[in-house]
Amino acid sequence: MSVPRLMLSSLAGAGRFCVLGSGAARWKSVRAWNRRGLSDLHPQLSPSQGFRDSPSWMPKNRSEPRSYITNPKLATTLVQILQKENRNRHQLFLECNPGPGILTQALLESQAKVIALECNRTFLPHLQSLQTKVTRKLEVVHCDFFKLDPRNSGIVKPPIMLSETLFQNLGIEALPWSEDNPLRVVGIFPAKNEKKILWKLLYDLYSSTSIYSYGRVQLNMFIAEKEYEKLVADPQNNLYQPLSVLWQVACEIKLLHVEPWSSFSVYNQVGGPKKSKNKESLEQINKQNMCFIQLTPLQNLFTENLTSVNYDIFFHMLKQCFMKRHATLMDHLQSLSPVNAVAILKEIEKDGDMKITDLYPEDFKLLFETIESFRESCRWLFDDSLEDIIL
Amino acid sequence: MSALRWGRGASGLRRALWPAGPPGPLAEEGALSGVWGRRRSLSASPCEQDRRKDWGHAELLEVLEARLRQLQAARVSEVTVRRPRPARLPDAGGFQPRRKAQKGGEGTAPGLGGHWAQKLDQEKWAMQRRKQRLQAKLQVRAQQLACEHRLRMVPQLLSAPLAERLLRWEQETPRSPWEEQLARLLREAPRRLSCEAERAHEAGGAPARLETQQQRLLAFLECCLLSGHLPLAHHVLVTCHGKWRQRRVLTLAAYNTVMLGWARKGSFKELVYVFFMVKDAGLTPDLLSYAAALQCMGRLDQDARTVQRCLDQMAQDGLRLQDLFSSVPLCQEEQAALLQAVHKAQPTFSPPLQPQPEPQVNTSPLLREIYAKGPVSYLPSCTCLCGSCRLLFQQQLQEMATTVTVESRRRSCLTKEVLARCEQLSAESQLLGGRAGCGPGSSPWVAHRQERRGGPRPGGGGGGRRAGLRPPAPDPLPCPQVAVPCLPRQYWETLGAPEVPHEQPWPLPVLVQLGKRLAEMLVEVVRMPGSLAAPQGSCSLIPVLYHVYSFRSFRQIGILKPHPAFTQLLATAAEHTLTFEAAEVPMLCPPLPWTSPHTGAFLLSPTKLVRSVEGTTQHQRLLDSCPPAELHGALDALTQLGNCAWRVNGRVLDLVLELFAAKGCPRLGVPAPPSEAPRPPEGRLPPDASPAQKAELRRELARCLKVAREMHSLRSDALYRLSLAQHLRHCVFWLPHNMDFRGRTYPCPPHFNHLGSDLARALLEFAQGRPLGPRGLDWLKIHLVNLTGLKKREPLQARLVFADEVMEDVLDSADRPMTGRKWWMEVEEPWQALACCMEIARAVRAPDPAAYISHFPVHQDGSCNGLQHYAALGRDSIGAASVNLLPSDVPQDVYSGVAAQVEVFRRQDAKRGVRVAQVLEGFISRKVVKQTVMTVVYGVTRYGGRLQIERRLRELSDFPQEFVWEASHYLVRQVFNSLQEMFSGTRAIQHWLTESARLIAHSGSAVEWVTPLGIPIIQPYHRDSKVMISGGIQSLTFSHSGDTSQRPNTLKQKNGFPPNFIHSLDSSHMMLTALHCYRKGLTFVSVHDCFWTHAADVEVMNQVCREQFVRLHSQPILHNLSRFLMKRFCSGARFSAPSPSLQDTLRSVPKTGRARHPARFLRAGGAGGVAQGPAARSPPGPLLHRGLRPEAGEALHLLLQLTLPRRPPCTIV
Repeated sequence: MSVPRLMLSSLAGAGRFCVLGSGAARWKSVRAWNRRGLSDLHPQLSPSQGFRDSPSWMPKNRSEPRSYITNPKLATTLVQILQKENRNRHQLFLECNPGPGILTQALLESQAKVIALECNRTFLPHLQSLQTKVTRKLEVVHCDFFKLDPRNSGIVKPPIMLSETLFQNLGIEALPWSEDNPLRVVGIFPAKNEKKILWKLLYDLYSSTSIYSYGRVQLNMFIAEKEYEKLVADPQNNLYQPLSVLWQVACEIKLLHVEPWSSFSVYNQVGGPKKSKNKESLEQINKQNMCFIQLTPLQNLFTENLTSVNYDIFFHMLKQCFMKRHATLMDHLQSLSPVNAVAILKEIEKDGDMKITDLYPEDFKLLFETIESFRESCRWLFDDSLEDIIL
Repeated sequence: MSALRWGRGASGLRRALWPAGPPGPLAEEGALSGVWGRRRSLSASPCEQDRRKDWGHAELLEVLEARLRQLQAARVSEVTVRRPRPARLPDAGGFQPRRKAQKGGEGTAPGLGGHWAQKLDQEKWAMQRRKQRLQAKLQVRAQQLACEHRLRMVPQLLSAPLAERLLRWEQETPRSPWEEQLARLLREAPRRLSCEAERAHEAGGAPARLETQQQRLLAFLECCLLSGHLPLAHHVLVTCHGKWRQRRVLTLAAYNTVMLGWARKGSFKELVYVFFMVKDAGLTPDLLSYAAALQCMGRLDQDARTVQRCLDQMAQDGLRLQDLFSSVPLCQEEQAALLQAVHKAQPTFSPPLQPQPEPQVNTSPLLREIYAKGPVSYLPSCTCLCGSCRLLFQQQLQEMATTVTVESRRRSCLTKEVLARCEQLSAESQLLGGRAGCGPGSSPWVAHRQERRGGPRPGGGGGGRRAGLRPPAPDPLPCPQVAVPCLPRQYWETLGAPEVPHEQPWPLPVLVQLGKRLAEMLVEVVRMPGSLAAPQGSCSLIPVLYHVYSFRSFRQIGILKPHPAFTQLLATAAEHTLTFEAAEVPMLCPPLPWTSPHTGAFLLSPTKLVRSVEGTTQHQRLLDSCPPAELHGALDALTQLGNCAWRVNGRVLDLVLELFAAKGCPRLGVPAPPSEAPRPPEGRLPPDASPAQKAELRRELARCLKVAREMHSLRSDALYRLSLAQHLRHCVFWLPHNMDFRGRTYPCPPHFNHLGSDLARALLEFAQGRPLGPRGLDWLKIHLVNLTGLKKREPLQARLVFADEVMEDVLDSADRPMTGRKWWMEVEEPWQALACCMEIARAVRAPDPAAYISHFPVHQDGSCNGLQHYAALGRDSIGAASVNLLPSDVPQDVYSGVAAQVEVFRRQDAKRGVRVAQVLEGFISRKVVKQTVMTVVYGVTRYGGRLQIERRLRELSDFPQEFVWEASHYLVRQVFNSLQEMFSGTRAIQHWLTESARLIAHSGSAVEWVTPLGIPIIQPYHRDSKVMISGGIQSLTFSHSGDTSQRPNTLKQKNGFPPNFIHSLDSSHMMLTALHCYRKGLTFVSVHDCFWTHAADVEVMNQVCREQFVRLHSQPILHNLSRFLMKRFCSGARFSAPSPSLQDTLRSVPKTGRARHPARFLRAGGAGGVAQGPAARSPPGPLLHRGLRPEAGEALHLLLQLTLPRRPPCTIV
């Protein structure tokens, strides 16, 4: 990593951009194949692409460090994984923040159609030059996938977009929930606010809005190992939390690949004062792996009692349950619902004395549906869940 | 962050909700746990500590006993060992000796048996000794345990000689009486107050935390005293005293409290114990201590010698015997006991009568006229309104019940069944001891109050404040019989009503903890039948309250929610009464005159002169340290505002009630009932509905919920107001006033007052009538036109003409408000306009309109009051002209002026080719800039200003929306520039004030100043101090910005100073006007800068208002301020090295005389205006164009929003 990086810096000239990550001292710790892979990167950055004159894809004025796939080897691996289980080789991929476009190229080479959503303006010219090479297979849009459909109805101007406009422009049709996934999203969760984005996606998913109004969109994302562990945590794990339950109820979660952090490149704002601080945090990140996971919404997520109208009550129920982790199911039933707790327990065939966090995700769903199925006028003790605002 | 700790609280939730054991006597439990908690650490959660401690003891005992058993077993083993069979050893116990024994056995030859035996003997001996030691230990421990459970009585003294003496005395009790001891103790008491305490006091209070702890302990002791747990209080005192670390929390007041308790009981021995401790702590007994001692002697009938010695000692300490009776709060019975003791020694002594305090005179030059003797015509007494004041006073004693029940105006939809049940219930409750509907006589509170009368009270909110009731005082208002007319306060002072020591508020953490405990109890205790349909007794009880959470983004907020069945029950029962705190209802007799920062307004309910956020003490401290005479202006003005008698405008009330009972009318400000709320679409969506449909449904649901909630709160607000209005319909009532920290005045009763919306104001009129006089009718008409908001920019004459033009509509509105042409409904302030129409109709139809007795209040509003003060301070002639401070025929409008100025700048820029300026062509109007101009005075920043303008631009439909951001940015800059141009002095002053505040805050102090009327002001903005109370149902955090121990919040201090300063000027002006109007016999009330009086008196009031404005600004206000700030922040020991920049800034008062000589500048306007006299041809008062009303309502709301001290953000996390 270090050698090309140093070259990068020298190529780009003084302080045009700042590349962070493993320093020269870490050189020895990088594995051999990795080194080779990074050396392979060099040709990509050759002056022939006009890089030296105008580092067009280098970010500027971005304080938020983003990681990008710059390793062609990794890109190839990913494409293999993605296409392995794919019947339709011409499937549509939506790539978030491709950056230098290494993965984009690999995908295109595998006959897939790609829509590149890039939020960083500086990468756009480079991506657009790719577009001209492969006509009709690549679309480049200046858009931030993770900020689609802002919830607070803030200003909508690029890179913030409405999914409706975006998909309309791209000519993507909505598929019913029962159909196969209409498109597959590939990308990396931004390291800084993974949790927020995961929550936003959950709200979108359960309410079938934003990208999920187009059907069961499949996400293939890199995520920090720590977050991944949270996603798949179960009652035996003390990372078990509402986020885990909600994702496990909603999606089939598959771990496709694990990659050390060091295979990614991080680009940051020009020599900002926060450099050292960032470095520290990156040092920490460096130690972990990135997991490439697949989140496929389940076909049977929505039932008669859990719909995209009342999902928020489900959310609220979970949050409240995990608020008092060590209380028993009985206690929680008493403060969740005015419906007779004994009747509910009988229905879900659980013991009132068990700890709430001993319930598995599907148990929570069952519990919710059971309470919802009671035909009493008032089924829940809280009624302001509509005001819960996330993000 | 603290949200993370919920888990812990939550785990105990079930335990908290359903207590396992039978409910014990709560009070005692609480008290005891309080003891344990306090003794260990003051902040620990009491219950837990208690349990843990007991548990610890039990455990220890168990362990010790086990060990004992073990040792006994070991002894047995030894016995066996002694027998010549060393190989076999029992397993139990004695590991060490056995090992040794074995070793010995193996390592030595059998021939050395003697040595062996010797060793064994030794072992045995050691063993026995150990056992004895252990047993002794156990015994001691058990004793200690027993001790722990017995309340400690004998103090542990740190001073060795003192302790020895105590011991000796105790053993010799029969021979030497305790009083000897007391006398000796008193003699030896150190002559110095603890110097640290003194220093701390000077520095403005000890460290806040310690102070809090002290207060908490004091509060606890007082509670013990009142609840009859005196031995407990004593025990706590002794334990605290005995530990060096905890002794810091003990103050003389704490000792005195316990001492007083013993004195009341007549327990001399314990009293002396406390005296021992006082001496041990190095404190000097004060008057209270002596009072307690003497009282105790009086009760015990001690002999004269002892009393005499005590008195001698008192004299030596420089304490006067008379002061015992005058400055120590004692109830009659206590006083009698005290007197009995004193009489023993000095049979001739008689307690001094209240010395007539020398009436202090206010020296403010602005108030000289008010307090000058001379011919005055004060407002006539209220006795002419409704008979005897004594009767009214009796009525107002409803406060004794602490609450007032008012019939609710909710539309009753009671079924017969419900009604029958209600009757049955009330009959039952009457049987149960006649508690329901208790009058003042039968109220349990009264007994309680009388019991507590006199003694020092634990502070806090609800407790009765005054020591005993004053005898129904003679008419507090000056009656014609009084020879020399004087102000109510002066009259009250001559009555010599005793000044009762005011209560100290409880520290905030204590309050919150108490509140939390109470809330927890509610959750635990309140139950209802699980099913209402089932017969009683057969179904289980379910809790009524639930603790649930609400999630706001990543924050969690705990909420107590009623069970839906309970809500439904309430709705079905349709409770037809509302219960208010006594202090929330207007008074039925004239309020007590304000005589000090603690005395005034309600008869019994405590009222503060300065309303402030809960927990801020600095205002009170400042007022207390201020010479009483300095406050006279404010006290008298507030008294006078409160003395205005009101009555309900019955006709308007009828109309409103009719609408209210029907479907309401949101357009007219009558909120609709919940039945009118939008209903979410019924039924479930078909399962195959598209996600978009579902999302739409969700949005609709959320919208309905939001609207329903808003409607509910509006409806409740109106319900309270209308119910109170109906309750008071046939009464004359009074609205006592107090003020905020800047001197702005507010009526105390919150729900029904003249400060509210259009509807609220229309419901009120003066109880006292005045003949309209020659010009009164014209003023009524002008007032009506003002209320319509139709002729804002016309001179008064034109308005009058307009009023005559629409007279037909006016009369129609008055006669057939709901069925006629409804002209009144279309105007800006419909209800007030309607009331005015009715008044005009009555006056016009009267045989002689000039003699018609009118009760109708006529308003006169200021035009952008803040800017007026700035313009006058800075002598900005252009600015002054635009806010009607200079003579002019047509009312000026500052907003239009600014808009015009902005337009000039825009045109220049457009010519220069600035794109935004070109886009904005034709869009710059008064409306766009108005809000920003108005709020600039109150410190709006460019950021806020831009947002305001952005909102206005978005409202313009034809404005190209993509330019909004840029245009608003541009406009706000131009508005500020224009203001700079027009009000150059204003901007300079604002800047100076801001800069001074910034530097003062930087130096670590909160900004303070004194208004021209002499009210001391301090800005209560500090960095947030967070208090977290964990444990129990959930952790509770609240942050409090008024904590003086924190550094000041520079941003708030800086941004707050200019508007607060202007408000303080504004309020000074209002108070001056009020006092002078009062002197001239006018009825006067104010809504900040909107002044009300009778139609006949409008001109007099206008004249007074103008005169006082000129008077006020003839003072060198800014120079006085500069001088004060210099003195306060750049001199004295605290500021040994004031920063030079602060000094420079404070000294460099902005230059003002840009226009003309200040006096001439103002005189020109003022004199001119006054000289014009009551002519209707032109606007009467050019100086202060009070005849104009530029959106007073809006401005008022804005001011309230912007500047009212915000409640502490009390987040439950």
